[in-house]
Amino acid sequence: MNIFRKRHSNCEPADVASTPISQAAVRRPVTVCGQVVRIKTRPAAGLPSLVVSIADDSGTATAVWSGRRDIGGVTLGRRIILEGVGAPTAGGPVFMNPAYTLLADH
Amino acid sequence: MKIVIVGAGSVGRYMAEQLVASGNDVSLIDNDAKALNRADRPELERVLGDGCELSTLERAGLHEVDVVAAVTGDDEDNLVVALLAKQEFAVPRVVARVNNPNNEWMFNDMWGVDVSVSTPHLLTALVEEAVSVGSFVRIMGLENGKAQLAEVTLAEGSPAIGRTVHGLGLPRDAAVVAVMRQGHVVLPREDLPLQQGDEVMVLITGDGESDVRATLVGETA
Repeated sequence: MNIFRKRHSNCEPADVASTPISQAAVRRPVTVCGQVVRIKTRPAAGLPSLVVSIADDSGTATAVWSGRRDIGGVTLGRRIILEGVGAPTAGGPVFMNPAYTLLADH
Repeated sequence: MKIVIVGAGSVGRYMAEQLVASGNDVSLIDNDAKALNRADRPELERVLGDGCELSTLERAGLHEVDVVAAVTGDDEDNLVVALLAKQEFAVPRVVARVNNPNNEWMFNDMWGVDVSVSTPHLLTALVEEAVSVGSFVRIMGLENGKAQLAEVTLAEGSPAIGRTVHGLGLPRDAAVVAVMRQGHVVLPREDLPLQQGDEVMVLITGDGESDVRATLVGETA
């Protein structure tokens, strides 16, 4: 297993091998791509964490980054790629500290 | 349940043996072959390797397990194991051992820890419990400190004596979970009258502690 995940900064979205969110395996490394539809900061044990939900045509996934309130460029409507291991929840996979790539607007 | 224990010291080996005996599917990880060889129950899977390395955790099947317990004698190692288990394998329940109470504040969901167990803290609570009648003893915290299990041995003069469990009028976020009477566990039915000497176990969330203290001990905190 390789902890250093791929970077896609110079890729076109169409070139990235991502899985539709509804078909992404849980508890295995996956790459998903979607539009940011919800951003929330929540306190976790006195420290903030940033909770971001992304959606594609098939479903919704959520990323939780601990220890930060925001990530530059992660704004509503932005398309991003997440890579990580999702935990199954009723609201779709939840990724803890996934790698992320911002995609250019077009 | 599938359980992975990291750290084959006396704590890890004991846990592994108990959990195997109760029918769980247990793997024990350590980088010390000698320590692993001391745990030689046939049903126990033993994995030699560094539990802070992804490759070792993968070999132990962390993608499939229900619970990971990080119980080495080193707090840094326990935190690394907990974080990797949560972040790279999305393990549903991660338990970590706190060796030095000064590090306890770090054992929370930021590091992937669902439940932390601090031996010194537990020992303090048990010693307090052994010597105190009529005072409020916190036994352990649950859900990252959002809930706690506490115990009061009813002393003479406690306002709870003679009242029923229902009649105590505990706040909504507190519940009597068990009563120990003369060495036996008594189910805390609503109409159970409490007696002097009863050990009352209470589960409390939120700010219920001072109300519970006032109800069972009598003093206000």
